[in-house]
Amino acid sequence: MSESSGILYVGLDLGTSRTSIAASNGQRATLLSYVGYPKDVVSRKLLQRDVLVGQDAVDRRLALDLYRPLAAGVIQAEGPLGEKNLRAAHDLIAEIVRRAKPQPGDLVYAVIGAPAQASMQNKRAILEAARDSVDSVILCSEPFAVAYGVDMLDDALVIDIGAGTTDLCRMRGTMPEDADQITNTFAGDYVDERLIEEIRAFAPRAQFSKEMIKAIKERHSNVSRNAPLVVVDLPVEGKPLPFDLTDPIRNACKSIVPPIVDGLAQLIASFDPEFQPRLKQRVLLAGGGSQIKGLDRAIEEEMRARLGEGRVVLVEEPLYAGASGALKLAEETPAEFWEKLK
Amino acid sequence: MPPFQDIRPRDSGRGLFTPAETEQLMRVEFERSQRHGMPLVCLLIGVDRLSTLQDLYGRDAREEILIATIGSLRRITREHDLLCALSDDRIVALFPHAAPALGALLARKLLEAARDMRFEREGRSLRITLSIGVAHNRHKEAITFDTLVAVAEEGLVVADSAGGDRFVETELYQLVEQQRRARELEAQRARQSGAAPASAPAQASVVPGAPPVRAPKLGDTLLDVLSGMGVRVDDPDSLDKDSLTRLLFRLQDERAPIANTELADERRKNDVLERRIAKLVSQLGITESELKRIAQLKNIDLGIASIYRDIQGLGGQDSQGERKREMMAEIFAANFQMKREIEARNGPKA
Ligand SMILES: Nc1ncnc2c1ncn2[C@@H]1O[C@H](COP(=O)(O)OP(=O)(O)O)[C@@H](O)[C@H]1O
Repeated sequence: MSESSGILYVGLDLGTSRTSIAASNGQRATLLSYVGYPKDVVSRKLLQRDVLVGQDAVDRRLALDLYRPLAAGVIQAEGPLGEKNLRAAHDLIAEIVRRAKPQPGDLVYAVIGAPAQASMQNKRAILEAARDSVDSVILCSEPFAVAYGVDMLDDALVIDIGAGTTDLCRMRGTMPEDADQITNTFAGDYVDERLIEEIRAFAPRAQFSKEMIKAIKERHSNVSRNAPLVVVDLPVEGKPLPFDLTDPIRNACKSIVPPIVDGLAQLIASFDPEFQPRLKQRVLLAGGGSQIKGLDRAIEEEMRARLGEGRVVLVEEPLYAGASGALKLAEETPAEFWEKLK
Repeated sequence: MPPFQDIRPRDSGRGLFTPAETEQLMRVEFERSQRHGMPLVCLLIGVDRLSTLQDLYGRDAREEILIATIGSLRRITREHDLLCALSDDRIVALFPHAAPALGALLARKLLEAARDMRFEREGRSLRITLSIGVAHNRHKEAITFDTLVAVAEEGLVVADSAGGDRFVETELYQLVEQQRRARELEAQRARQSGAAPASAPAQASVVPGAPPVRAPKLGDTLLDVLSGMGVRVDDPDSLDKDSLTRLLFRLQDERAPIANTELADERRKNDVLERRIAKLVSQLGITESELKRIAQLKNIDLGIASIYRDIQGLGGQDSQGERKREMMAEIFAANFQMKREIEARNGPKA
């Protein structure tokens, strides 16, 4: 379809930890949001590349100056590392767009989902970073893209659980404004920290790294009461011993539920009372953190206990919900808008 | 494809049609989709190690597992999706208006649902996994329902032999279609040579001593055609142009009344089919609008059904069109403003 029209529409989700793309030619790709540059001439010779992106960069981090250009949820273009962060973001976007395999000569029209709280300055930085890779750009807020993707444009709440932040966004049929958005830090990284605390209390002699804990969480995260037993080997004085981490994992994962419902309550309370019940019934759960099993139910339960009712729908594909929503927006945006934004 | 089998007794009376009817409905649905260029997805689902489980835990366990599998299939289907168990306990599911990508999505959902199923037998909890073959009608060789099911079957076999608990989409449409055509031709030949009327050969061999038919291919085709008309030719060399013409005229006269009744028969069958299709279509319309109405009434989201709406571009879209346009204009205005600011700072993009 797009091959004949010469336009490739792409939806891009620029995340703290992952960057994903969905394109109108059916291509999809996701990369860890890391970019690395060889530290010195020797490393460059060894790696035979000037830039490494994604998992590649993480794997070879010892030989690289490693950047996480979106570490704070936005491109940190100011400050001492500003220039370099901007270049890293530029290279990250260039790589992910390449993965969408545009045909030579295709115009690339991109909708980029940026964190809800991105400032004007941040947005400018994103546009600059994208400038060389795409021919026309539209920015929209990330939770908005997710909601757009499933046609929940009005009277809905979006929960987007990332690594650094959880973004809550109220959809009311227009572009979300500041008052429609709440951001807190009860997200993936917070769960990791809580899990570390829990394990320390539970198995003081076990040794582990942050990365190990994160991997364990991503593999076994579950908040349901009848979660299967999780037994993990952790080294104690260098020797692996089995630990039952079922409860620590459940506790850590559950810890983000009350603050999320706090935020929801706030967004609901300040909404037109007539439509509050409808809002409670239309909560969309997205982001990497939404993959915690049973989380939708747990939030529903907490909502019911505190707000009387609640219904939470999990997005189909947490990894691509933002990107495919952005793609949908891109495909449905009238041509003349794209022309003017070139 | 194994014969269709009734799933109603296993399914607490929820099935509306007999297996034969379901098969017929699937075929009609397939034809309709082809005619209107609508996408459609077919899944063929098998429970892994089902007969082993039966050997170990008995026929009841097998039944229970199948019922649960059909149950989880029901949860992801809409009113007008069609389900049927085959006689070998594999399950066919047809999803009209479903884009190819949805096939994978549905298969994934089913695999997940199966993994979450719990069966206790003799104090042990059984793990249930599925193998699923996925096929769609967007391939240009997917021109018959049988091809579609056969491709799905290939996928299921591959999934199963790779250890199960997975779905496989193969692209074997062309191959399967070729095989299907070859088989059909063969069956036709067998039927015809078996059912040739006894009086025909005598008529065909009325002209002795005629020159042999030259082009062997053309000759074979001619014999095929004649045998298709119920004429068996014992001595191919005995045919010449004149005798053939005479023969054809006579056959035409003889067959005219038969052809007429056949035609009327076909018409009647078509009539019935068309009427059934019309009914199904109107039922479909009613179902969709009813679902929409209930959803609005109760403030509920239709879940998977709403996703269908996106993928099919069926309803929903229109009611939100105006709103979407407004929002897009807002997004555009904000972006345009930003672009102007940047340009004011940096000068326009080269
Ligand atoms: N299966 C999982 N269970 C729980 N958390 C997960 C799982 N998979 C990923 N995550 C967490 O999701 C977070 C990343 O989410 P993502 O939406 O990709 O973030 P961002 O938008 O900030 O890039 C990380 O904290 C990661 O550990």
